[in-house]
Amino acid sequence: MDFRPLNDTERRQLITALRGNAEQDRAILMDRRDTSFVGTADEVTDEEVIAAIRSVPCHY
Amino acid sequence: MLQALVNGAGRLVQDLRRSILRPFAGQADQRRAVAARPARQFLPLKRVLLTDDVGRTLFEEYAAHQAGSRGEEETGWVLLGLREEEEALVLATLPAGASRDAGVGHVQFNSCGQVVGSRIVRQQDRRLAILGVVHTHPGSLRHPSEADFRGDSAWVEQLRGSEGIFAIGTADGNSPANGTAVAYQPRLHVQCLGPLRFSWYALGSGQRNYRALPVSYTLGPDLARPLHSVWALIEAHGDRLDRLCRQQTGVTFEVVPGKQGPALTVFVPLAEPGHGIRVLLEDKEMRCFLVRDGKPFAMDPCDDRIDRAVYLLLAELAAQVE
Repeated sequence: MDFRPLNDTERRQLITALRGNAEQDRAILMDRRDTSFVGTADEVTDEEVIAAIRSVPCHY
Repeated sequence: MLQALVNGAGRLVQDLRRSILRPFAGQADQRRAVAARPARQFLPLKRVLLTDDVGRTLFEEYAAHQAGSRGEEETGWVLLGLREEEEALVLATLPAGASRDAGVGHVQFNSCGQVVGSRIVRQQDRRLAILGVVHTHPGSLRHPSEADFRGDSAWVEQLRGSEGIFAIGTADGNSPANGTAVAYQPRLHVQCLGPLRFSWYALGSGQRNYRALPVSYTLGPDLARPLHSVWALIEAHGDRLDRLCRQQTGVTFEVVPGKQGPALTVFVPLAEPGHGIRVLLEDKEMRCFLVRDGKPFAMDPCDDRIDRAVYLLLAELAAQVE
């Protein structure tokens, strides 16, 4: 297990996730291997974003 | 008496069964309720909301582009933001980049820089998704062209809700009579500032044409705007930065003041808490630091390619571990 303190970005993401869970019933995702926080159901994966960017068609 | 005993025993069994099964039945109801809760559903967009900073970016950079040496060419931006059920909020703009392939009749964005840009912007909010594209037309065609439609209609299938937002920038508008530099909306889907005009549309998968999309402003940032000042660095090191992000967990970026102007720092964390390698990119210069408990110690980068420099430094640090 990695017991280091959260950095600023991780802390901000966790607080956002907890607020989303409390206020809007949004799911908090957990890593099945070590139960660590891995984001929320509303997050968009890097793969989805990058695939869309790489495939932006030529515009005329 | 026996009948009464049997009836009593029957009631007892039934009560017992209810008391045993109730919690499970409750859990089943709960499971059904969770299963029945629909996943987020995207309906056709009714409007697009821009933050005021995003609006400024589009108008200011379009004006700067027109005044520049490549002003005759088309240019554009990729839009990042939040896709809600019936509307979208644009929170960041990724520019086409200096390495774009463009002319008077086309623009193909430099996706390499935009990929890294998206990684940096999404450090702050992982919900940000690609919403669409803004591009300019040199003449007065304020609607996407037929050739645009051929590409966009296939591209939107991979976007949230299978729908994209498209804006066309033209420089054929007239300033309002009062002459003030205030944006105005002659129509719900059109924004003008001076001679510049952006006309907003939506296109869904399977649709035969774009439809005008009402656009509004709200107060908020363009989360990518600080990156625009270091976009040349992002493009120059784009492939190697992207590779570093894919290979190393926890790589973070920051725009900081440099010697001449804004600089980009890349931080690669080490195993020890608070330790890492910080690379500072500024103009054509690259400087590396070992950070221990927040204190930077200069290191010789050994290579001018950022990914190789990082791995050489990691190897040097590994060799020091007994």
